[in-house]
Amino acid sequence: MVTVAAEKKKASLIIIGGGVVACATAYNLAKKGMNDIIVLEKKEIGNGGSCRNAGGVRQSARDVRELPLAMYAVSNIWPTLSDELDVDVEYVQRGNLRLGKTEAHIKTLTGITKKSTDAGLDVKMITGDEAREICPYMSDEVIGASWCPTDGHANPLHTTLGFYRKALQAGVTFISGVKVNGIRKYRGRARFVDTDDGVYEGDNILLCAGWESRAIADTVGIELPIIREFSECMVTEMEPDMFPVMLGTAESDFYGGQTKHGSFVMGGMCGMEPYVSEKDRFITNSVTAPCLSRGIIKYFPVLKDVKIIRTWSGWYDVCKDKVPIIDNISEVPGLTIAAGFCGHGFGISPATGLAVSELILDGESHTIDISGLKYDRFRAKA
Amino acid sequence: MKRHEVLVIGAGPAGLSAAIEAAKNGMDVAVFDENARPGGQLFKQIHKFFGSKEHHAKERGFNIGKDLLKEARDLGVKVYLDATVMGIYYDKEILVNHNGEVDHFKGDTIVIATGAAENMVSFKGWDKPGVIGAGAAQALMNLQGVQPGEKILMVGSGNVGLVVSFQLLQAGCQVAAVIDAAPRVGGYGVHASKVARTGVPFYMKHTVVEALGEDKVEGAVIAEVDDHFQPIPGTEKTLDVDTICIAVGLSPMSQLADNAGCEMKFLPKKGGNVPVVNEYNETSMDGIFCCGDVAGIEEASSAMLQGKIAGSTASYKNGYIDEDEWQQSVEKYRASLEQLRTGMFAPQNKGRTDMTETDEGIPLSKSLLAKGYVTDEELAEFPACSTKVSGVHPVIECTQNIPCDPCQDACKFGCIKVGSNISKLPVINPEATCTGCGMCIASCSGQAIFLVNEDYEDGFATVALPYEFLPLPQAGDKGKALDRSGKPVCDAEIVSVKSSKVMDMTNILTMKVPVEYAGTARFYRA
Amino acid sequence: MTKIVRTAATEPFKPMPDDDMIVCRCEEITKGEIRKAVYDGMSTTNEVKRWLRCGMGLCQGQTCQKNVQSIISRELGLKIPDIGQITGRSPVRPVVMEVFANDVLDVHEEA
Repeated sequence: MVTVAAEKKKASLIIIGGGVVACATAYNLAKKGMNDIIVLEKKEIGNGGSCRNAGGVRQSARDVRELPLAMYAVSNIWPTLSDELDVDVEYVQRGNLRLGKTEAHIKTLTGITKKSTDAGLDVKMITGDEAREICPYMSDEVIGASWCPTDGHANPLHTTLGFYRKALQAGVTFISGVKVNGIRKYRGRARFVDTDDGVYEGDNILLCAGWESRAIADTVGIELPIIREFSECMVTEMEPDMFPVMLGTAESDFYGGQTKHGSFVMGGMCGMEPYVSEKDRFITNSVTAPCLSRGIIKYFPVLKDVKIIRTWSGWYDVCKDKVPIIDNISEVPGLTIAAGFCGHGFGISPATGLAVSELILDGESHTIDISGLKYDRFRAKA
Repeated sequence: MKRHEVLVIGAGPAGLSAAIEAAKNGMDVAVFDENARPGGQLFKQIHKFFGSKEHHAKERGFNIGKDLLKEARDLGVKVYLDATVMGIYYDKEILVNHNGEVDHFKGDTIVIATGAAENMVSFKGWDKPGVIGAGAAQALMNLQGVQPGEKILMVGSGNVGLVVSFQLLQAGCQVAAVIDAAPRVGGYGVHASKVARTGVPFYMKHTVVEALGEDKVEGAVIAEVDDHFQPIPGTEKTLDVDTICIAVGLSPMSQLADNAGCEMKFLPKKGGNVPVVNEYNETSMDGIFCCGDVAGIEEASSAMLQGKIAGSTASYKNGYIDEDEWQQSVEKYRASLEQLRTGMFAPQNKGRTDMTETDEGIPLSKSLLAKGYVTDEELAEFPACSTKVSGVHPVIECTQNIPCDPCQDACKFGCIKVGSNISKLPVINPEATCTGCGMCIASCSGQAIFLVNEDYEDGFATVALPYEFLPLPQAGDKGKALDRSGKPVCDAEIVSVKSSKVMDMTNILTMKVPVEYAGTARFYRA
Repeated sequence: MTKIVRTAATEPFKPMPDDDMIVCRCEEITKGEIRKAVYDGMSTTNEVKRWLRCGMGLCQGQTCQKNVQSIISRELGLKIPDIGQITGRSPVRPVVMEVFANDVLDVHEEA
């Protein structure tokens, strides 16, 4: 429900950004009794990367610093999240295949796999034929793959908006259509949030606004080494249930899978992305979808007759070392930041919400080890 | 990368006109259309157009389409058919799905002229087969030669609903009723009148609440609505129909403009989400133009002029004409456009229901707005409708300010005058002598002109009327004369049937009726 | 975007007699589902679309968008510009993957 006139501008916590991290954190806090929260969103709930991703819930090939979030989410949150949020988040735990077509691919995949097994994850290399047993529609070009049976995928739209709905029901206030320009300190603590809609005030401030977090953090003297990177996805019409596994490739031609609804959501890059990232407009590139289509058909010839009904694009918030910053900012007491998820934030988002809620309430994340994600970890070359 | 200086998307009236204008000035132009045949909606439009001579008035839409296409091709415009533009990307690049491959084109100018799509209305059972858009019905009839159904309910009384209702009648279908949730007929009164006089009832302030039937439409329930457009319980009526035809307005097909990055705005008067365009039909994106329905729902005549303005502006911006030439041409087209945007149906009056009289101060016919036809008493107020004149003379039942003037050119004897403001009602010059040639009847796109002769025979008058149905009656045929509401009022005998090339398929039936019906008999049924 | 303040509903959801009417044909979404989505907090055309899929089918909202919007705007008491539009995306018509793959630019084979 909506009330346009309400003038609440002060709360225990102001959250900047209305994506899945904001919604999951607000939900976790409200569940623990802290619902005096205002979430400020520039456009719409979940409009950024939260609703612009292929829904991968993956542990394999994760950096060990964020692997605890992924493993915790897969073991403890995703399996029961639909019940918890009272909406089908369409979580399917049927594995992730990362495909290789050449010996060089196999070498790459073997290296990634070793890192994951060293960190305690159940992932292994399999042959092309073994991969075809898991997914019979695959072409003979595939000669091997890495296989993580506990990976899966979910519906990012339902997940993001499901967290939003539960947080709303628990008393959190969400305000959309308000652009945040900066944060100001009061007596040594982050307190004021300057917006196009005047000043909002919070005892604590959580900044989780994707790549746009950087400019906002800058206003209180915090440099986040995050840049935006353009990426796009394409969506097909509904098809009968063909395969439940999530897919990736060593060559990164494409990634994605089939949703519960039946459409395939496949993303990837064509190589021109850095230049597109420079442009000020937010549209798909003319050569990407054809390029992805060629890539997909090589692996899955059966998909050649499937209709593509839309393509969309989004910005990755790419952090310097390819893992996010999730931390209480000691230089600016009262400010917590969760940003720079690099395009793999959705799968860990339920765990991120839990970890950030603990950072805010308890000052530290005691359930999940996020010690590798501190904001001050970046160093110049020696 | 294939390049043309101008890429035009959509080969309808706006797109072809833009292409012609740019090509005429020397530009290299390509037009893309997703359909197998060009012309956009024009080839479905078998009715005669309104406006003035320069707007192709009294020409039928499909003939205008043929002419535009020929002119474009003669000028060297490359027309790609079955060529779907899938998107507009950076740097004025388009992707075209053409013959099973995807082609990239770039242009210095892009003209988006993608037209409009039909609105749908949701009601119980609206997803059953047998509920179709009026445009789809028109395509079935006029392009494929197929009747959309036998018994039809038309939902919507705008020009599309009225024109398609008439065409359904021409195709041999029955039209059970024309309904509209609005309190008054939305389209031209003359379009309504030609439907009403065949006996089709009009129900204003009515909506369709349910499509009956198991797997397809086997009936329709309509009901009266209150001031908030909500059905009033207890007012339901069931109509025996097999098809429900929806004509509740159009929405600009503006996705490509949005996709191209043009600034968009939701404007109800323009029909929905439209690109913001300046006075030259250029969008917020430099070199990208939008014209025709995609920039705001109007009609084909103004779409053509918008296309010309865009074509001329692109020619100027790219150095093909100088500033003077550009300004002169734009001024000319704009003046012509202004002529079309006059009268009570002008875009600025869209949605208004408060108009009560014509520009001349004559009360608007309430019956026309409620039931689709003008009553005898109301008609008496209009100067060109008098029947008490000796000898043969025109009776012009044109009661609304519509931009249209072919009748004044049609009469070579100076009987009919509209003047330079083409939205004025026609008046009859009492000094001039009518010869009964009938050219005015055939020229009237609204089929609102009749020739009446009360002195035909003792006790009998003749009424000559426009007739566009088959089979064509023959002299000597006997039948009934119907009044404006479609009610049979007296016996009638056909005394002559006139057809000629110059009348362009509008036949003139002259029927003999008792003299007391000279002012009421307006249609003939065998 | 218009500022929209969202807080939890204070009254129970009120069903309406025509809630079972289909509004989005492609995805078979009813008026009641749309009303419930709005009740649950979905406050823009895109949020309702993402929650229910109306407008995500083959027609990409060409047929139903206005009708969906009029339900949302009525429920919220907001004007249609306030609740936003579905974004126009390419391909504006569905296209078979094999055709999309067959674009005629010279494809650069990376070593």
